[in-house]
Amino acid sequence: MLKDLPNPPSLVMRFVSNFPYGRAPLWLLVIAVVSVGLRVLTARRHEARPDLVIVTHTEAQFDAYRKAIPRFERDHGVKVQLQFANWASLQARLQNAILAGSEVPDLSEVFAGSLGFFTRGPAEDFGLLDLTDRMRADGLDQRLVQSRLSLWSTRGRVYALPHDVHPVMLAYRRDLVEALGIDVSKLTTWDKFVEVGRQVSRDLDGDGIIDRYMLDMRYDGNWGLQVLMFQRGGQVFDQQGEVAFATEDNAQLIRWYIEQTRGPHKIGYECGWGQPVVRAMTDGLVLFQWAPDWRSWVFADEAPALSGKMALMPLPAWTPGGRRTSTWGGTGLMIMKQTRHPDLAWELAKYLYFDTTQLGERFLATNILPALKDAWNLPEFATPFPYYSNQRVGQMYAELAPEAPPVYSSPVDDAGRLALDRAYNRSAQYYSQNGEAGLLEKIRAELAEAAESVRRLARREKILAKGTL
Amino acid sequence: MNILQILLLALFAAFAVLRLLGRGRTASRFARWTLLCLGAVVVLAPFTWLLAAVFKDRSVLNEYIFLPPVEQWSEKTLNLDNFRELFKGRPSLTGPVYFWEYVLNSTVYATCTTVLQIFFCSLGGYALAKYEFRGKNALTLFMLGSMMIPSVLLLAPLYKMVVDLGLVDSLAGLIIPGMVGTYGIFLFRQACLAVPNEMIDAARLDGCGEFGIYLRLVMPLVRPMAAAFCLICFLGNWNAFFAPNVFLHSQDKLTLPVVLNLYLGEFRHDQGVFLTGTALAMIPPAVLFFALQREFISGLTSGAVKG
Amino acid sequence: MRGKVRQRAVRSPGRPRYKGKAPYLFLSPYIVLTAAFFVVPFVNAIMLAFYETNGPRSHVFVGLDNFVFLFTDPIFLRALLNTTVFALVSVFIQLPLSMALALLLNSGGDKVKGFFRLVFFSPNLVGQVLVGILFSVLFTPRYGLINRGFQMVLHWGLEARWLSEPRLIMPAIVLTSLWLWVGFNMIYFLAALQTVDKTLQEAARIDGASPWQIFWHVTLPSMRHVVIFVVIMSVIGSYQLFELPLTLLSESYGYGANDAGLTLITYLNYNAFRCGDLGLGSAVGWVVAMIIFIISLIQIRLGRIAEED
Repeated sequence: MLKDLPNPPSLVMRFVSNFPYGRAPLWLLVIAVVSVGLRVLTARRHEARPDLVIVTHTEAQFDAYRKAIPRFERDHGVKVQLQFANWASLQARLQNAILAGSEVPDLSEVFAGSLGFFTRGPAEDFGLLDLTDRMRADGLDQRLVQSRLSLWSTRGRVYALPHDVHPVMLAYRRDLVEALGIDVSKLTTWDKFVEVGRQVSRDLDGDGIIDRYMLDMRYDGNWGLQVLMFQRGGQVFDQQGEVAFATEDNAQLIRWYIEQTRGPHKIGYECGWGQPVVRAMTDGLVLFQWAPDWRSWVFADEAPALSGKMALMPLPAWTPGGRRTSTWGGTGLMIMKQTRHPDLAWELAKYLYFDTTQLGERFLATNILPALKDAWNLPEFATPFPYYSNQRVGQMYAELAPEAPPVYSSPVDDAGRLALDRAYNRSAQYYSQNGEAGLLEKIRAELAEAAESVRRLARREKILAKGTL
Repeated sequence: MNILQILLLALFAAFAVLRLLGRGRTASRFARWTLLCLGAVVVLAPFTWLLAAVFKDRSVLNEYIFLPPVEQWSEKTLNLDNFRELFKGRPSLTGPVYFWEYVLNSTVYATCTTVLQIFFCSLGGYALAKYEFRGKNALTLFMLGSMMIPSVLLLAPLYKMVVDLGLVDSLAGLIIPGMVGTYGIFLFRQACLAVPNEMIDAARLDGCGEFGIYLRLVMPLVRPMAAAFCLICFLGNWNAFFAPNVFLHSQDKLTLPVVLNLYLGEFRHDQGVFLTGTALAMIPPAVLFFALQREFISGLTSGAVKG
Repeated sequence: MRGKVRQRAVRSPGRPRYKGKAPYLFLSPYIVLTAAFFVVPFVNAIMLAFYETNGPRSHVFVGLDNFVFLFTDPIFLRALLNTTVFALVSVFIQLPLSMALALLLNSGGDKVKGFFRLVFFSPNLVGQVLVGILFSVLFTPRYGLINRGFQMVLHWGLEARWLSEPRLIMPAIVLTSLWLWVGFNMIYFLAALQTVDKTLQEAARIDGASPWQIFWHVTLPSMRHVVIFVVIMSVIGSYQLFELPLTLLSESYGYGANDAGLTLITYLNYNAFRCGDLGLGSAVGWVVAMIIFIISLIQIRLGRIAEED
């Protein structure tokens, strides 16, 4: 054994080789102890229990609120803690906390479409504070874009403050479009747009792969389909929260969408997110892109090389003189019923969302149009935007904002949208195999089936609301 | 016809020629190593892509499949911007949080959980293997059954408990519920079964206490399994995502997988930085695997071979 | 002193029978921690399967209604189908690949073996979540590595929409899982191959058996313990497939277009945590546990049959 070696090793080596669990566990033990020590030494001190905790999920908003909150704290003599969490983990955390009945932040920003989770069951059990009366008392329901309240209401009561409107325009490569001789002011309806699109979308170098498409269109429906559907006045749910997408109008829309993404004269191609989109725009793979206000900023940030070559235009309408915008997404601020200071939380919410002294600056940082109509008159909204060929982007969005369609929600929001996608994808698959023949009937059948599946889920939810089977 | 297709055809042609020339054994050896190398290339391709993507500039990430041709190497196409962005602090209430802090958090979580699991699971595994006691069968059955429940289901009630204990948003809150795992107990049980009973009896006769037997006799005999378990446990916890995602809130407490996921957010899609972080996060497990390869293999398979 | 020792000494030859407290003490950390952090959530989860709930406040007892809903829900049945298909694919595509690799590698020297082992195992060093996100980038139409790779070798696939075309989604998940786990199982098979009696193989070869016959009739049967173990582990793991499809198809919460990527656990996660329907989630948990239980029973059976051979 060790004793027999000519040079007995040092104490440390003896310890190492005698450590019962072996070398690797010993190393891990050492690393564990060292790292715990380091962690304890470098731990940051967290503040004492604040009066209010507010969580946001976007860095831009985090920065904006960080600047704004100290004034609120001074004015009201309270301590407010601002936290940042990305959306996926924030959602998981909120959901788990509510499911487990444990502590949640006082205020939380959430994305549109997630209201459903928080509004299951009987209204008394909602974890959210009902804001309807407070809004009316402060006259906010008049000062905000009406259609946005739909996104954050259920059963006629409002449960979150709308942050934005998110009107949608098309962003396009102005240089390429002009070089092709297209006059965008003539693209006033989708029919005209498609007509031009068909001439544009073609294989340029003869290798069988189309090199230029007119529009970025999502292959599996999803938001691509929904943006168009809302523009037409279609809805996933109606105002009472019942399933409402199994309509003839939607069937026609789905047929149109399939034609434009998979038909022999397709004009749409899916570009994805991030670098692929930038690449597609730089190469001219697609000429027109969907640009809700938030995305207009993202393009400018991710593809700076295209500055001055891009421009924005309102959506083509479905009928002459029809609506020329849609809406995509949205952020809202919820106040949890558990909060110890509901009035203070309400003051903070109003301050952060509707204080016109901050809204101009925030617009410049994000291009996002607030839901408060008064703010649109601020000078910042009239700034020319060099990226989009010096167009006054704020004003353009502000002009379209009042037309932004409402979006009604329901406790089974997510399931509804998934079901609509399912109907779309099955119809698209049918088209790939069978072509136009019987397509419309198939679409109608799929929509009906999808609607029924959502109703089954809604029935479960109603049991919960009633409290008995 | 591009270079890849030409290469593949050439390999196949070489194999066919060898066969035809009657050198069957050489042909099959050639085929064997070619297939293995091709397999290795396929497996390593995503890593190579990852490594190249780490150094490519954002604007050319999709321009070239791996690296740009040498003529195009410049500050604009290859740079350390991704690293710079990764090492820049992330915003938090208490100031910017740097990358090394996330590495530290992951290290604390993975190593502490592993070390504790090695201790507790080996204790439990040894007890199950070498003792008969009342309730042993019931306990074993319970353990087996508990492994069949999808762990996702337990997340919400567990979260509530951790909150009630005041451990939410802390690494302790992750480590403590994870201190013992049934998988580990069974692995150690397997290994301890191989220790001959006579040795244990002899040790008892010598007056060794039970814990002494465990620590000084049995554990050194199952070192391969301990090393194998070390790697498995460390790997699992280093890459764990779901529990840390829910349990950790403050920006400075997050572990690596959770933080890396943040770079692919809703509006911004910073693929380069995410890929860089992933590449860096692979280094500690790779080092550990390299050091423990042999033990890992023998420990892992002794469980299977015994069946 | 000696007298005391003799009293405590164990005399029976096979199993030591110990009348002290040691086993209980040794297992107490496990028991305490499990009682605290597992049993309570577990019982909670079991009971919830018979309720509809929205968190701690509203509970409605619905009896077996959740199960009835599950088995009449075409989407759950689709999830069951997808997961079963994936399990079959793992057994009939992934494991033969692992076995093939192990056979190829078996004849190499130690250093070579070590190198290739590291290479093929390396995908496991990255967690499932990061692999899913990485591959969602690699599957990008036109620009992704995999699309480009296929295009270069097969002249097909540049525009293949792996993650949005329903017929390609399951293959995409399968490809990713192959990349991850072929190497992992290869290691098991490689170790088992080394325990195979070479003399038997030699004898068969001398008798004129072809390599395939040697493999099928000599090598494989002597590896049967490992093979059965790996098959069972693979199937059980397949039924719990979750993080991979969730991160590959993150925009649709793991469902994928036309539910093509939906697995049992992603269905559970969606209903329990996105929709707040913990009762339904628990019911799915029951179903999964039952399936795994049945499979484990089959394993024990097969193990016994193999013993008797």
